[in-house]
Amino acid sequence: MCMENGSFYSDGVFIQDQLDLPISLELRWGLRRKICGGATVSVCSSSSKLFVGEFGSWYTGSEMPVAASAIYFLNLRGDVLINRLYRDDVGGNMVDAFRTHILQTKELGTCPVRQIGGCSFFYMRISNVYIVIVVSSNANVACAFKFVVEAVALFKSYFGGAFDEDAIRNNFVLIYELLDEIMDFGYPQNLSPEILKLYITQEGVRSPFSSKPLDRPVPNATLQVTGAVGWRREGLVYKKNEVFLDIVESVNLLMSSKGVVLRCDVTGKILMKCFLSGMPDLKLGLNDKIGLEKESQLKSRPTKSGKTIELDDVTFHQCVNLTRFNSEKTVSFVPPDGEFELMKYRITEGVNLPFKVLPTIKELGRTRMEVNVKVKSVFGAKMFALGVVVKIPVPKQTAKTSFTVTSGRAKYNAAIDCLVWKIRKFPGQTEPTLSAEVELISTMTEKKSWTRPPIQMEFQVPMFTASGLRVRFLKVWEKSGYNTVEWVRYITKAGSYEVRC
Amino acid sequence: MREREDQSNQISPLQLLIRRKCIYLTFSEETKGRSNRVRGHSTQLSVAMAPPPPQSHRSPSPSQPSGKSEVSDLKSQLRQLAGSRAPGADDSKRDLFKKVISNMTIGIDVSSLFGEMVMCSATSDIVLKKMCYLYVGNYAKVNPDLALLTINFLQRDCKDEDPMIRGLALRSLCSLRVANLVEYLVGPLGSGLKDNNSYVRMVAVIGVLKLYHISASTCIDADFPATLKHLMLNDPDTQVVANCLSALQEIWTSESSTSEEAAREREMLLSKPIVYHLLNRIKEFSEWAQCLVLELVSNYIPSDNSEIFDIMNLLEDRLQHANGAVVLATVKLFLQLTLSMADVHQQVYERIKAPLLTQVSSGSPEQSYAVLSHLHLLVMRAPYIFSSDYKHFYCQYNEPSYVKKLKLEMLTAVANESNTYEIVTELCEYAANVDIPIARESIRAVGKIALQQYDVNAIVDRLLQFLEMEKDYVTSEALVLVKDLLRKYPQWSQDCIAVVGNISSKNVQEPKAKAALIWMLGEYSQDMHDAPYVLESLVENWDEEHSSEVRLHLLTAVMKCFFKRPPETKKALGAALAAGLADFHQDVHDRALFYYRLLQYNVSVAESVVNPPKQAVSVFADTQSSEIKDRIFDEFNSLSVVYQKPSYMFTDKEHRGTFEFADELGNLSITAESADSVVPAQQVEANDKDLLLSTSEKDEGREPGSNGSAYNAPSYNGSSATSQPLADLAFPSTGISGQAPASNLAIDDLLGLDFSVGTATTPSPPPLNLNPKAVLDPGTFQQKWHQLPISLSEEYSLSPQGIASLTTPHALLRHMQSHSIQCIASGGQSPNFKFFFFAQKAEAASMYLVECIINTSSAKSQIKVKADDQSSSPAFSTLFQSALSKFGLP
Repeated sequence: MCMENGSFYSDGVFIQDQLDLPISLELRWGLRRKICGGATVSVCSSSSKLFVGEFGSWYTGSEMPVAASAIYFLNLRGDVLINRLYRDDVGGNMVDAFRTHILQTKELGTCPVRQIGGCSFFYMRISNVYIVIVVSSNANVACAFKFVVEAVALFKSYFGGAFDEDAIRNNFVLIYELLDEIMDFGYPQNLSPEILKLYITQEGVRSPFSSKPLDRPVPNATLQVTGAVGWRREGLVYKKNEVFLDIVESVNLLMSSKGVVLRCDVTGKILMKCFLSGMPDLKLGLNDKIGLEKESQLKSRPTKSGKTIELDDVTFHQCVNLTRFNSEKTVSFVPPDGEFELMKYRITEGVNLPFKVLPTIKELGRTRMEVNVKVKSVFGAKMFALGVVVKIPVPKQTAKTSFTVTSGRAKYNAAIDCLVWKIRKFPGQTEPTLSAEVELISTMTEKKSWTRPPIQMEFQVPMFTASGLRVRFLKVWEKSGYNTVEWVRYITKAGSYEVRC
Repeated sequence: MREREDQSNQISPLQLLIRRKCIYLTFSEETKGRSNRVRGHSTQLSVAMAPPPPQSHRSPSPSQPSGKSEVSDLKSQLRQLAGSRAPGADDSKRDLFKKVISNMTIGIDVSSLFGEMVMCSATSDIVLKKMCYLYVGNYAKVNPDLALLTINFLQRDCKDEDPMIRGLALRSLCSLRVANLVEYLVGPLGSGLKDNNSYVRMVAVIGVLKLYHISASTCIDADFPATLKHLMLNDPDTQVVANCLSALQEIWTSESSTSEEAAREREMLLSKPIVYHLLNRIKEFSEWAQCLVLELVSNYIPSDNSEIFDIMNLLEDRLQHANGAVVLATVKLFLQLTLSMADVHQQVYERIKAPLLTQVSSGSPEQSYAVLSHLHLLVMRAPYIFSSDYKHFYCQYNEPSYVKKLKLEMLTAVANESNTYEIVTELCEYAANVDIPIARESIRAVGKIALQQYDVNAIVDRLLQFLEMEKDYVTSEALVLVKDLLRKYPQWSQDCIAVVGNISSKNVQEPKAKAALIWMLGEYSQDMHDAPYVLESLVENWDEEHSSEVRLHLLTAVMKCFFKRPPETKKALGAALAAGLADFHQDVHDRALFYYRLLQYNVSVAESVVNPPKQAVSVFADTQSSEIKDRIFDEFNSLSVVYQKPSYMFTDKEHRGTFEFADELGNLSITAESADSVVPAQQVEANDKDLLLSTSEKDEGREPGSNGSAYNAPSYNGSSATSQPLADLAFPSTGISGQAPASNLAIDDLLGLDFSVGTATTPSPPPLNLNPKAVLDPGTFQQKWHQLPISLSEEYSLSPQGIASLTTPHALLRHMQSHSIQCIASGGQSPNFKFFFFAQKAEAASMYLVECIINTSSAKSQIKVKADDQSSSPAFSTLFQSALSKFGLP
């Protein structure tokens, strides 16, 4: 029964005995190098016999796959907006347990996973809704949270944006339908909006015509549901073939009061909007170091000069051919239709900070403070940042403030105990300042206990990447050979941009 | 599985219905009231009724239809439409159905519309059908007879030409979960599995699993598992394959306890052909199915190294996947595969570092939390891996505290010689944090680092700076740390004492901190010149000191001080002993008495007992055994990692115990405060005190009312472990008075001062003698408890006097101690008490461990004995019983 590279297994099914390893010269693990697929040591003969060990002796891990027992959507008061019980192994009183043990106690928000009775609760707050997943066994935590995140993204794509209590109330039938499709008996099924939209056609209430959704052809949809390219359906036609690329970076900074950068990194994502006909094959080139080196190595020409950057880590949308990324370092993919997140990356080295903050805060005696903050923009003079907000913390007992600013507007916000300085448009290579005098109510109870929270900044800088990442090319291939228009935008936002003072 | 099924059957659908209705009635009365009033009312209800009411009792908001009239209105409208074929009928049906579903969602019982809904279901509109299926699925279980009505149209829909409708109908059919309808499932499922549309097959596979849970025998008899296996290997659609895999794993795992055949099949899933078959298709699977396959493969044992490398090379790119769950599953697989190859295992750590760090910073805080828990586990096994990436664990100002807390733990764990300075500097920033719990955590983190490191010079300075920050909580935490630090590094005493001496004991309020300060006063009384006077003033305020822990420490400290500076301390010692002897707290009283006798007997012996030369503590005891840590590691990528305990501790019914006692026991550990060099039993009691405190704290906020249901109200797994006590509750338990004088025994002991251990050994049955001074630390106890099998399990009755005396667990402890049976942990409140005892055979090492649950309302006690020496456990049991029966007798 043993054939060259595999064997017949029960019912006449031919099963390959070897793994389809990528045909590549560089394999990371092990000492051997493969010359071509399958030409290595044959393990055929020894392994066509099935391994049968002692009962239960080595099957030590989780005893069975773990499924969710129920999912609840609650509002902030703890009322059930919608719920779906997938399995019978938890009682209906579970949500009461959640209410009395988490929602109505100080526990709320202290830990997103909690065990009550025999069940574990995973909960997440999204706008004014709590989503709670209940499991009765040793579940996969990462999977559960990811599922909730993905489910919310799916609902959003149906409602057209917002996900909150009202959206749920207005679309509960649709949510029931979706909950049935995305999870069956507690096991996640298909969560891809692109595919689900083919057969869950009832639109959110934003469409006034929602009562006649059957105009569209449905029957063929199921064929697509589980096709080989699960994220794209065939037969798309656009008059104008366009691709939009958005490179969105958020800079995280933590600077000490002495001006030392304690922590600084960039998390970026490339968002894509595709309006392309047919089944196009796309290839994206970035100025990352490894990719460039690889390319020059393959094409045997020297690396072009210019800035290259080093990506610490990359993750890709499921459409990206990871094998090719690993062997050739190119990002190639068949994109889903519409909007999606192509990749995420992380960079810690060589980050260009768009702003420098130079604060001096002096406490003059018990009742007065002097605040001077200079913010310096260090990007190109032709560029500008939008929506810059600088939040400078002041003590709780602030009584009176007076400012002078060289640009923008400032005011004291007592709710968050901050001086909030807003500059709508902030050109590059400038350094506006704020100087403020703060009068405090003198209190006897509070000793010298004002601990200064960090200054926080918000901003958006269009056409600037803190990492220096650039798109070098985006190539589109399609059988019909149409022309495409590609658009690229860059934007850098503040993640957590904190300067201690 | 079978068991579970039975339990769910116990609550009959009818009961549920009745319950639901009565809730509903209460609501309609209250409808006009303000919504929060209604909510308050409903909470009361849930306490009053034995099992809490069904899930969704929401206060009807004004815009929502409410009340019975609305339902009957809907009913007549549905009737009218039922037979209508008029154009537009579907649209009006749709609106009506929406109303019905919306009422159902907010918890109004619309099950009375069942008949009408089914009548209206004859339609070609798929949305209408879906709503109808939803309705039917929700109410079929409580209306099994009516559910029969739906079978017909569902079966018809299963043959519809639209695969969508076939699939939906089949899913609904299987979701009815009514046991007597299973015969109708087999046919449609069988054809569903053979359907040429993958959507239908996908639904049918899960349908088989649903059938298995309703009636395992029907499922097995129809030979569905074999069909699933065939599908798993042949089906072109990966979601079908994935569903087959989940279904088969579940079915065979639960069957394997009874059938060898199933056990073999289960292991077959891990055979090389199947594993390879799945791995070769991994890229076609959805991200969720990939998690499933990776989890399966992590249990696979490859035959040789090259196989391991092949698998790893194949899955290498999964580490780049956007779904964190896939990344974690791959990490688990890599780690498990390479366990036997130390060098490759190290390389794996290097490889997984970057992807894991990405997962921490991307996604929601909840996801970061899940990943950080795993990083913490990894860093415990390989501290060096993240030591150069410590900056990733710096806290951001706006992060939720659960993320910050884990980050602090990470910072503590990754600290080594090269990065300590930066980490400690950063942690000190947090000590001034607005979020006080985090500030406390960060100070503790500094302390932990100090205890790990060799070069603590700079850290000690930092800690001392904390003491000068003049914030209560900072001072408190720092004091506790300085005390621990001194126990490990006595050489720092000069520096520390100088600063500690400046702290006024009046500014320290927290018991732990106060105890630490007092300990230092006692220990270093020769270096702190006003130590005796500080202690004296503390003794003067004895009555105002509420914490027994502090009073215990005060006694010991005064003793120590007395031996170092007798003339100055004499007065304080006298006062302290007098106050201690009069103390109402058992431990304090005992210790005072002990010191008093010791001093009477021989002062120099007393000194050698109380103030012996001490050795520096080199390593503080680890809280978890390595065995448990390995178990958690085996369960990587699951809840075990988040809870930091192996799954059997929180999923097994047995371990969970009646009132989550196992959890408390799990947390028992030798705490750092056990500074006193006195009898360990006292330590145990101190721990025990903590434990009691924590259980009783938990009880607050639940229900302060009647003593009877105090403990049973919160037990949500009521159907399983607590069924016994719940049943007992049924008859009135008014006989137990919560007011019985708790101090009875204490007073007895005070009067009969000549009580001594020697004479207290009972006139026990001769063959078995117990060691009156048996010692066992909680860690070992716990370990033994998990290791040993139950050698004996019995139920005794208690004497009425015994019951009357058992108002607090402590009363029994002292009694059993006089019979040479020591208590290691206890808890509970009337009428349920739980104890863990141990005893040791005289002149032998063999131990007896006992778990004893006493229910005072039924006057029964259940005991489980575990013993090193199994043969003698009956003898021990008799001894235990006789000791127990004497309880409460004069």
